[in-house]
Amino acid sequence: MARSPLRFLVLILAISICDAAGIFHPISDSHRSAALDLFKPVDGSFASLEEAYEALRTFEVLGIEKTAELSKATCKSVLGTLESSSSTPKDLFYALGVNGILKCSSKEETFEGIISSLQAVVRDANSLLDFYYSIGSLRLIKDQTSKTDLHLSDAEGTFRSIKALSQSDGRWRYSSNNPESSTFAAGIALEALSGVVSLASSEIDQFMIGAVKNDIVKLFDSVEKYDDGTFYFDEKLVNMREQQGPLATTSSVVRGLTAFSSVITESLNLTGDKILGIAKFFLGIGIPGDTKNFFDQVDSLACLENNRVSIPLILSLPSTVISLTKKDSLKVKVNTVLGSHAPPLTVTLVRAFSSSARDNSIIENQELKFDPQDAVYFLDDLPASFDVGEYIFVFKMLVQDSEQQTVYATGTLTQVPIYVTGLIKIENAKIAVLDSDLGSVETQKKLDLAGESTVSVSANHLQKLRLSFQMSTPLGNAFKPHQAFLRLRHETKVEHTFVVGSSGKKFEITLDFLGLVEKFFYLSGRYDIQLTVGDAVMENSLLRDIGYVELDLPEPPENASRPPPQPVDPYTRYGPKAEITHIFRAPEKRPPQELSLAFLVLTILPLFGFIIGLLRLGVNLKNFPSSAVPATFAVIFHLGIAAVLLLYVLFWLKLDLFTTLKTLCFLGVFLMVVGHRTLSHLASASAKLKSA
Amino acid sequence: MAKLLLYLTLATSLIPLFSVAFSPENPTDRRVLVLVDDFAIKSSHSLYFGSLTSRGFQLEFKLADDPNIGLQRYGQYLYDALVLFCPSVERFGGSIDVASIVDFVDSGHDLIVAADSNASDLIREVATECGVDFDEDPAAMVIDHINYAVSNFDGDHTLIASDDFIKADAPVLFQGIGHSLNPANSLVLKVLSASSSAYSANPKSKLSNPPSLTGSAISLVSVVQARNNARILITGSLSMFSNRFFRSGVQKAGSSIKHEKSGNEQFLTEISKWVFHERGHLKAVNVRHHKVGESDEPAIYRINDDLEYSVEIYEWSGTSWEPYVSDDVQVQFYMMSPYVLKTLSTDQKGHYSAEFKVPDVYGVFQFKVEYQRLGYTSLSLSKQIPVRPYRHNEYERFLPAAYPYYGSAFSMMAGFFIFTIVHLYSK
Repeated sequence: MARSPLRFLVLILAISICDAAGIFHPISDSHRSAALDLFKPVDGSFASLEEAYEALRTFEVLGIEKTAELSKATCKSVLGTLESSSSTPKDLFYALGVNGILKCSSKEETFEGIISSLQAVVRDANSLLDFYYSIGSLRLIKDQTSKTDLHLSDAEGTFRSIKALSQSDGRWRYSSNNPESSTFAAGIALEALSGVVSLASSEIDQFMIGAVKNDIVKLFDSVEKYDDGTFYFDEKLVNMREQQGPLATTSSVVRGLTAFSSVITESLNLTGDKILGIAKFFLGIGIPGDTKNFFDQVDSLACLENNRVSIPLILSLPSTVISLTKKDSLKVKVNTVLGSHAPPLTVTLVRAFSSSARDNSIIENQELKFDPQDAVYFLDDLPASFDVGEYIFVFKMLVQDSEQQTVYATGTLTQVPIYVTGLIKIENAKIAVLDSDLGSVETQKKLDLAGESTVSVSANHLQKLRLSFQMSTPLGNAFKPHQAFLRLRHETKVEHTFVVGSSGKKFEITLDFLGLVEKFFYLSGRYDIQLTVGDAVMENSLLRDIGYVELDLPEPPENASRPPPQPVDPYTRYGPKAEITHIFRAPEKRPPQELSLAFLVLTILPLFGFIIGLLRLGVNLKNFPSSAVPATFAVIFHLGIAAVLLLYVLFWLKLDLFTTLKTLCFLGVFLMVVGHRTLSHLASASAKLKSA
Repeated sequence: MAKLLLYLTLATSLIPLFSVAFSPENPTDRRVLVLVDDFAIKSSHSLYFGSLTSRGFQLEFKLADDPNIGLQRYGQYLYDALVLFCPSVERFGGSIDVASIVDFVDSGHDLIVAADSNASDLIREVATECGVDFDEDPAAMVIDHINYAVSNFDGDHTLIASDDFIKADAPVLFQGIGHSLNPANSLVLKVLSASSSAYSANPKSKLSNPPSLTGSAISLVSVVQARNNARILITGSLSMFSNRFFRSGVQKAGSSIKHEKSGNEQFLTEISKWVFHERGHLKAVNVRHHKVGESDEPAIYRINDDLEYSVEIYEWSGTSWEPYVSDDVQVQFYMMSPYVLKTLSTDQKGHYSAEFKVPDVYGVFQFKVEYQRLGYTSLSLSKQIPVRPYRHNEYERFLPAAYPYYGSAFSMMAGFFIFTIVHLYSK
């Protein structure tokens, strides 16, 4: 992050777009609600005393009453830390910080043991952080108790050993064996030095203090600047062990600076502009989302709120949009960074000019009046010649009490972009169809842009469509809106947008359809006409469907370009599909069962006829062999025939071809043998009969 | 010592592989790489990041030009999702470039891209790869003189209150650049579109030509679901994720309702749930089919069989698989073209089933479920199954229509039998 101040700038601009032109707003209620959201204790206490200190300090600065519900659990851990002998100076520092806010304990005996151990730490310390935490703790104890004899034994020596870590460019090293210097450390060192001065039993050598003052001036030479007039400090080294961002670094320097300036008697010769720029840097961040950043921001702003170098005053506007119709007046607020009231000031509107014509001042050197009730400065009445538009107002503020002018940093000039809005008159709206050659008006219709009525016209490709209207500002001047579009939308949703041009007050667009047929893709039919007029300063921006034109365009030639595809509604694209059921082949037609049965009976009837015929003829079985052996063979022969026929029936019913043929084989042979015997017997019997 | 060092290196390099990660059984992303232009975004957009972290995502913040960033190591992706909150980056550091981001998405990972006015060519190129074209004019912003958010400080109407999406509680604040979608691209979808009075232009300069993007063709926020179910969110405003917009109240111009809080937080949180597969992720299990009345799955069906097809569909809720309830899941019985397309009936517990008759066409068929719904991952199931015709003995026997023929044959046989006896033995 250290190597990307530019990126940080981009970000600041991005996150504070409303502040883009350098309007900064003091801490407000949105900060308070954000603080409550951000510093959320778990079960009434915080994870560490450091977090508890940051939360409580933030609440204290913002004036949020939340100490009561937090004090019980937090105080317990504070007392635990204070009474424990193994607490490090850092633990003690934050414990004492919390104690200072919550007033957990003020018993002197609690502190007795700590004081001696801390003083021992101060004596033996060789790193900056040891000095910082131990001296900071001692100073907190001094503030919290009535002990007056709390002094550093060798304040002068301690001062020297901290000063020994300073570098020629105003930055500090963390310890003597660490060659890298850091701006963050400079802030810590200044805070530690201020602690030494306040804990010293006797006056510190003025020469030493002068040297530190010199260091501060050098440190402020390295301050970096953004285009919008904000100042900040950043670490120059990339590979620091603990990388600190610009916010933490600047915050550390501010804490050190304000602490140091509060303990020395003479003033630091720093310009108020830099302090104001740093204050604007903190305000420009907006509302950080990180507890650490939030604390750094709020704590630094609290330090700046009443520092002894110069107190920044922030000029802000409740609204940069002024409506002429609502008769808004120009109001300006001046507050300190935390939002409290500023001392009596003279706020002057140095210049006001239109952002397009910078040389023409509309108002010059007008003093704003003070309204003590709302604590706002306001401009009585805007001059009558004040029209809608975008303006840039330049303000200057001056503390009335000349003695206090050095106490406050007011900056030189503040530029604020102002939008003055009003109702724009739109009149004489007309739509006409012209003949191409002569320009004679075929049909002309009046439009009521305020109402709901629509018009319909029809035209062919040899004609022109003309739309015209007049716009003027409330003062009757010409007005050119940023957006003046005429849109023609075909039934197939193909859209064409045209910009309506203007000359003076009159706006006119003529669509020559002959030249547009190609652009319109030769699509004849109904085109809806939509007029959009809008501008940032126009309060009655409008989007109106004014009707439709029925266009008759020629048939497209073969190689004409096709209209672009239009987006499809995603719901139709992904919806369920229509069901498909298979159409089965229809079964073949069959006669009704009764008919089949009737024919079955018919087919059997001849059998009965045959049997009846036989009986009628008087058939008999007289030829049947009478002797036992031939009769047996005859019976077997006929049983065999019956078996073959039965086999056929079985074949029809269930048997397959192979079984049938096999069985038929056996039956056939058998039948042949038996048949031969039977027939030969019958033949011999008949031969006997003939011969006899 | 050297050995110990080796073990340490091994162990640290393997840690990302062992951590909980994206898997078919647990489709929510876990490890997210956030590339920023500046670490300050971490604090200015902390509400958004906080909502992600509280849902269990491991966010890793890196500067976009950090030389040590990379999406994969040893062929393994280190992250499940990438968030590009670096609209002004001209060149990524490390091994990341447009091609590697496209590969990352092609391998099924998710992406969030937030551009801003003056977005770099690199970010535009990433967006173009995803089927989204930002307005080419670098100074253009979306302006809407009718549907802007009323603000005391934003006079140029670039702060837009859009409520053109489903079930809006409060309008969503947007300030940034617009983009357009190719209508032929069916994978990319407008989530938040501008109103018909909006246009995309430079608010500081006068217009002489009509702007390239106007009206509701301007998309403010778009999502893409690729064919491999990778999801992408693209928006032209980084500030819509910021704490300032999350907390800010919103009042739409011309409306008297002042919402305490903009819809940004709800909108973007829900969309991030979708993008990171906490919502709308479906899985299908237990795909079964059998003949009606049986329970075993046959290897082949005969034409005109009655069969039952069933599948269970579950939706991932972020923590567990919940039954998916819908009435439009359809199954196809498919050979070259669908022969049967039937909507499955559901028991409201994730079980879907349908009964139908196998068509009287034989061949190799497929059971196909192609389920594509807006906002859900697509399901594509197919199972091959052959269908055979009737065997010779499966046709109908003893047709009544043939009874006369049978009758005549058998009466003939009976007559023959009688005739043989009569012929041989009658005198």
